[in-house]
Amino acid sequence: MAGSSSVTPILKDELDIVIATVRNLDFLEKWRPFFQHYHLIIVQDGDPSKTIKVPEGFDYELYNRDDINRILGPKASCISFKDSACRCFGFMVSKKKYVYTIDDDCFVAKDPSGKEMNAVEQHIQNLLSPSTPFLFNTLYDPYRDGTDFVRGYPFSLREGVPTAVSHGLWLNIPDYDAPTQLVKPLERNNRFVDAVMTVPKGTLFPMCGMNLGFNRELIGPAMYLGLMGDGQPIGRYDDMWAGWCTKVICDHLGYGVKTGLPYVWHTKASSPFANLKKEYKGIYWQEELIPFFQAVTLPKECTTVKKCYLELSKQVRAKLGKVDEYFNKLADAMITWIQAWDELNPSKGEAGHLN
Amino acid sequence: MASAGPALKDELDIVIPTIRNLDFLEMWRPFFQPYHLIIVQDGDPSKTIKVPDGFQYDLYNRNDINKLLGPKASCISFKDSACRCFGYMVSKKKYIYTIDDDCFVAKNPSGQDINALEQHIKNLLCPSAPYFFNTLYDPYAEGADFVRGYPFSLREGVPTAVSHGLWLNIPDYDAPTQLVKPAERNKRYVDAVMTIPKGTLFPMCGMNLAFDRDLIGPAMYFGLMGEGQPIGRYDDMWAGWCVKVICDHLGLGVKTGLPYIWHSKASNPFVNLKKEYKGIFWQEEIIPFFQTAILPKECTTVQACYIELSKQVKEKLGKIDPYFTKLGDAMVTWIEAWDELNPGKDAGKGKGK
Repeated sequence: MAGSSSVTPILKDELDIVIATVRNLDFLEKWRPFFQHYHLIIVQDGDPSKTIKVPEGFDYELYNRDDINRILGPKASCISFKDSACRCFGFMVSKKKYVYTIDDDCFVAKDPSGKEMNAVEQHIQNLLSPSTPFLFNTLYDPYRDGTDFVRGYPFSLREGVPTAVSHGLWLNIPDYDAPTQLVKPLERNNRFVDAVMTVPKGTLFPMCGMNLGFNRELIGPAMYLGLMGDGQPIGRYDDMWAGWCTKVICDHLGYGVKTGLPYVWHTKASSPFANLKKEYKGIYWQEELIPFFQAVTLPKECTTVKKCYLELSKQVRAKLGKVDEYFNKLADAMITWIQAWDELNPSKGEAGHLN
Repeated sequence: MASAGPALKDELDIVIPTIRNLDFLEMWRPFFQPYHLIIVQDGDPSKTIKVPDGFQYDLYNRNDINKLLGPKASCISFKDSACRCFGYMVSKKKYIYTIDDDCFVAKNPSGQDINALEQHIKNLLCPSAPYFFNTLYDPYAEGADFVRGYPFSLREGVPTAVSHGLWLNIPDYDAPTQLVKPAERNKRYVDAVMTIPKGTLFPMCGMNLAFDRDLIGPAMYFGLMGEGQPIGRYDDMWAGWCVKVICDHLGLGVKTGLPYIWHSKASNPFVNLKKEYKGIFWQEEIIPFFQTAILPKECTTVQACYIELSKQVKEKLGKIDPYFTKLGDAMVTWIEAWDELNPGKDAGKGKGK
């Protein structure tokens, strides 16, 4: 049954906002009306001796590289350095059920009527209502106000499944790869698409970490953003990697991944030349990674996210190790991540128990 | 793509089933007039259907269908808009657009009239992307593209076989939903076209639908509905499930989203419940059937896929109800009739994955 137009709970004590930054957090001023209820986890990348100024009135904890090293010891090796992928440390260290992560160059967007969009509220709506991965509803998310399942949608599938991920989008600077940025430097995303939809089971998608919400209890351990940045041969594939792992595991465990609203206003176009350097290997590697993830099967015995993830790390090593030595390191790091997650989140039942 | 005059003027037929009148065409005149219409008159063949002046059309009533198909006419539904698929079969054009006679021109949020046909043509003429979901929707739309992380080898896309449009105002709900929410109207204009990913089925509505006849025509059979049949309002659903399975097998794309039309008439939910009743139960078995249907490699044309599907329907669904055995037979009859009226035209040939 479609959701009624009741007030969306704020989930003030159940949601953390995780932000990775190297510069400053001025952007938070614009978000104040929407973010002020929430606890922030700030992951400071780069030089730990710098001071990051947080605007007044926000409740937050901040971790720099020294903190990460101190808390994780040798396991800190799985957390990227000099790359926003370090934000996943924030996912690990959070004690909340839900996480919202946003980039520090993303601002409040307006809908076509000129109204400012509360991105967190929309993500919460997305996460609190079910997903429908088994059959595509042509009127998109059937649980939104003013819509429903269409004729021909089997009734047994209308309860949906729990939503693990809410993937938001961006107006203005679109999330393009380097080749596309080089070819179309002026293109701006001006199209406001008023829809949320479930990415169907069996279908992968490019998950962007700029404006992303997820249920940490359902899928947290799968949200590892990989080895990027300093000392690594690749960058700008952190969220992609997490997205492919997450989707495969969600499909296996019967969880949903939504994409669409909310929008944020993305202001900064990163340098396409710098991006090409970072993405270069990824452009070739992804041609092998995608078929790998598309063909992954997880055994029935993998009934929790962690078991799924460890199994995935084995398959990464077995099948992608031959593509490049990097994937052996990454497979090791995936294990280290789970170990670190377990240490910081001891005996809280298993995340994402298979129904 | 932008050429002088309306796009694909001589390559597209508009197929409209009707029992009453075609007054709605007046509103569509600016957009439809250049195109040839195929009108399939359902119900009493002795009635005269008045077509507004200035349209070029062929009209077929039941007598014509019986005359043209002989005994094979048994596969064409009577007293149900499913009869429209006769129009698909008898068309000589590459593309079909079909629309219901209670669907009118909608306006986009800026108040502009939407040329639904033009949007369908755009959808059909540019590729689909079924193997990976693009989060900015149709990457071939103006002002959009593939996003970061979308593999480059998949950016050529595949040919688009179907363009499934949507409806503002009266949404296409089933009877239970209509009974529970009689006042709900679809007011949400979603400015997107997207490919339905491979391996995922969807409810295909025939109210505002276009397809490439050369690529997928023979799969667009709308089943046995209406008079003498135990079910109704599952014609387009049946075609949609068959079409999607075959498109997935042959590497063809199905898009959904824009364009919108304005759907003006809410059909009677009590009548609808009677028609849909069996379908409500049957679809619970039909969906898993289609979700697990596998077509052998040797099926390289739509006709071959469809005949194979008809065998599987009889074998696996026949046990649910004898209706499916009849339907399996009708599927074969449909292909025979299609091939007779369209000799030597293997559809979707050789479109490997």
